[in-house]
Amino acid sequence: MYASCGHAAAILALGLAAAGATLGPSVALWQSRAGLRVLRLLSLGFAGMMLLCNGIMVAALLRHDFSVAYVAQVGSRATPPLISAVSLWSSLEGSILFWGLILGAYLCGFTAVTRRQSGPLVGWAFTVLFAICAFFALLIVGPADPFGLMSPVPADGPGPNALLQNHPLMIIHPPMLYLGYVGMSVPFAVAIAALIRGELPAAWLKLLRLTMLVPWLFLSVGIVLGSWWAYEVLGWGGFWAWDPVENASFLPWLAATGYLHSTAVQERKQIFKAWTLTLVCASFLLTILGTFMTRSGVFNSVHSFTQSPIGPVFLIFLAVVLMGSLFLLGGRAHLLEDEGRIEAVLSKETAFLCNNVVFVVFIFTVLLGTLFPLITEALTETKLSVGEPYFDRMAGPLGLMLVVLMGVGPAMPWGQPNRQALMRQFLAPLAFGAGVSVACMALGLRGPMALATFGLVGFAAYVNAALWLGPGLRTARRRGGLPFAAIAKSMMTNRRRAGGALVHLAILVIVAGITGAQSYRQSAEASLARGESMDLAGYTFTYEGAVGRQEPHRFAAVARMRVSQDAKVLGGMEPRLNFYPSQREPVGTPHVVTLGSTDLYLSLLSVEPDGKRVVIKAYVIPLVSWLWRSLPLLVLGTLVSLWPKKEQLWPKEGM
Amino acid sequence: MNLKRALMLAALALPLLVALLSGFGRDPHAVPSMLEGKPAPPWVLQDLHGQQVALADGQKLPILLNFWATWCYPCQAEHALLQETAAALQGRARVLGIIYNDSVEAVAAYVAKHGAAYPQLIDPNSRVAIDYGVAGVPESFIIDGDGIIVHKQAGVMRPEILHRYLAPLLADAPPPPLEKGP
Repeated sequence: MYASCGHAAAILALGLAAAGATLGPSVALWQSRAGLRVLRLLSLGFAGMMLLCNGIMVAALLRHDFSVAYVAQVGSRATPPLISAVSLWSSLEGSILFWGLILGAYLCGFTAVTRRQSGPLVGWAFTVLFAICAFFALLIVGPADPFGLMSPVPADGPGPNALLQNHPLMIIHPPMLYLGYVGMSVPFAVAIAALIRGELPAAWLKLLRLTMLVPWLFLSVGIVLGSWWAYEVLGWGGFWAWDPVENASFLPWLAATGYLHSTAVQERKQIFKAWTLTLVCASFLLTILGTFMTRSGVFNSVHSFTQSPIGPVFLIFLAVVLMGSLFLLGGRAHLLEDEGRIEAVLSKETAFLCNNVVFVVFIFTVLLGTLFPLITEALTETKLSVGEPYFDRMAGPLGLMLVVLMGVGPAMPWGQPNRQALMRQFLAPLAFGAGVSVACMALGLRGPMALATFGLVGFAAYVNAALWLGPGLRTARRRGGLPFAAIAKSMMTNRRRAGGALVHLAILVIVAGITGAQSYRQSAEASLARGESMDLAGYTFTYEGAVGRQEPHRFAAVARMRVSQDAKVLGGMEPRLNFYPSQREPVGTPHVVTLGSTDLYLSLLSVEPDGKRVVIKAYVIPLVSWLWRSLPLLVLGTLVSLWPKKEQLWPKEGM
Repeated sequence: MNLKRALMLAALALPLLVALLSGFGRDPHAVPSMLEGKPAPPWVLQDLHGQQVALADGQKLPILLNFWATWCYPCQAEHALLQETAAALQGRARVLGIIYNDSVEAVAAYVAKHGAAYPQLIDPNSRVAIDYGVAGVPESFIIDGDGIIVHKQAGVMRPEILHRYLAPLLADAPPPPLEKGP
């Protein structure tokens, strides 16, 4: 019942999307308003069908209808309802179905944002979007069909992957990433439309920026939440391992961030036009490449789903999108000639140019490291892996360059600046940065790289804080009144500058967090008998005994640890090991406690059957919590920056 | 439309696509054991009763060598299969357990309760486990009569693995391909 309804809805969605993709070109070529209305109705229809498919699947999951193949694969009667519902995206077929739902939502969003617009650009953008929708609907109907029938119907299922069940972040992290990935389709469609027409009017450029900022925000939040989850669950005290799938989320983020910077120059100076569109295409292509990496079974990663029939289909899609984009960029980019040029070496334009160069180098570095094992295996038949040292060594300097540019770029004026004024402008931030370094040293921090990084972060933070708060504070001083109100008002009148500065500050907080965690992490491992303790970084961890807990789907061994500092007891911690009947090794769940800016992190490595003795790995990690604490700032900054003025969203004239 | 430049740029994509295509059909998770096809490292160990057992004792019988521990749930899960195999192949193959990071008492108590159809060997300081590159338990090695490692099984032993790798090594094994009786 669920299976056949779901299948029918998916086929209908495919039909609607295919109709839209077929109708689109003629609507664009003949600029038919009636045709455009049909496209809009089709987009609503597609979204409705996708909503229906997903609703049916969630219902099947909640009611444990094991006659549906996907439910039999990920469901189990013992799984609580919330986890059952979110196992919609815990495995391959369901995640593609969920992808379809989000695609439908974005399609509707695009319809809403462009509802006052008509003309060929809108028609072409719809065509591209519908083609993408049709591809995913095809996956749902064919190779990744979640609505297959089970016969005989099993009495119970295995439940979702154990790692996905043991932390609430798993409920929010994947949807955020999917919202980021899927949303990249919209700016891609907008960019392809511009390439096909060979024109890029100002309103279209604004639409491009708006449609990119939305998925960029979700992708950023998704990446940070993903690293948080890895940190809280995997028990190794780290948050990023340059795993192919982590890279798969980072690559489109780099391209999209590069775009957000180059578009600022383009809107202001009418340069970098073709380049901007290239970055938009790259963001989408890297998304598809990333999805291919997770779902083809070709890459070795903790995240990858098993080898599946959708791999080859996805590769064909990637080939079409990649070659199509390159073909259009090669053939049409000359129509988008730059109207301005960079006037001076020391200018904001140059800073943006440097920024884009660094982003592109970053993309190629990460891409090379990710694909290298695959390439060498294809050429030489040898297994090889590119480890963290490569990525860390490359990413460190590139990241530092971006930090410097985050300080230099925003402070630089456009055009041809006055050199002396420029020097004066940088005096205060530079002094502040140096002050931060000295203060860190006075606090006892060592290591030239870390101190330099903190200094540069201080420098860039000063510049961006001044951009964010400066105008409001000056107004308040001049006219009197509350600084807070003046700042809020100035933020609203210059949203892009204030939003950008806030996002920069959030990224700087992340950089400081990474630097602190990487440079000053301390760890120790000890085998402790009951009553014994270990010391690390001024904290004492005492083993008080272990308890075993039989839970419905697993057995857990929990070590009771007492934490004290200077003979004062701070509290208890309970790292644990979970034993699943189907798994070879137990899965640990670390216990993390954040005290101020420092994290105490305990992992239970092994426990003797009678609990007499345990092996504990303890970490004391400073500043790591700044990574996730940056999130509110990041979200606020992006929202301020993307919130359109009314006339921007609904332009009066048609296009 | 600048067709020439368009086609040239599009062709740039080909190497990447070919590289991705080449990944199909490989299992990225499979790590081939360096020891497969190589002679099994020799050892002489004591069993739970203090008797010496050597790898070379068996007069050309194939060997199923299993590294395990009582604290390991999957090892417990495969114990019954190993018991059955040892009983069924008595005199035709040797099944040997090597204790991995576990106390002799725990193992003695476990096999007393769950069956001791094959010898359990004590591996002081995990020397043999290190020689065999054991990363976790259970891990099993199937060794032919000439002492060459035919297969390494990381994880729980399954009947089909025994059928595929151990059965052909038995002296009375039917010649491949396996013929089905009437």
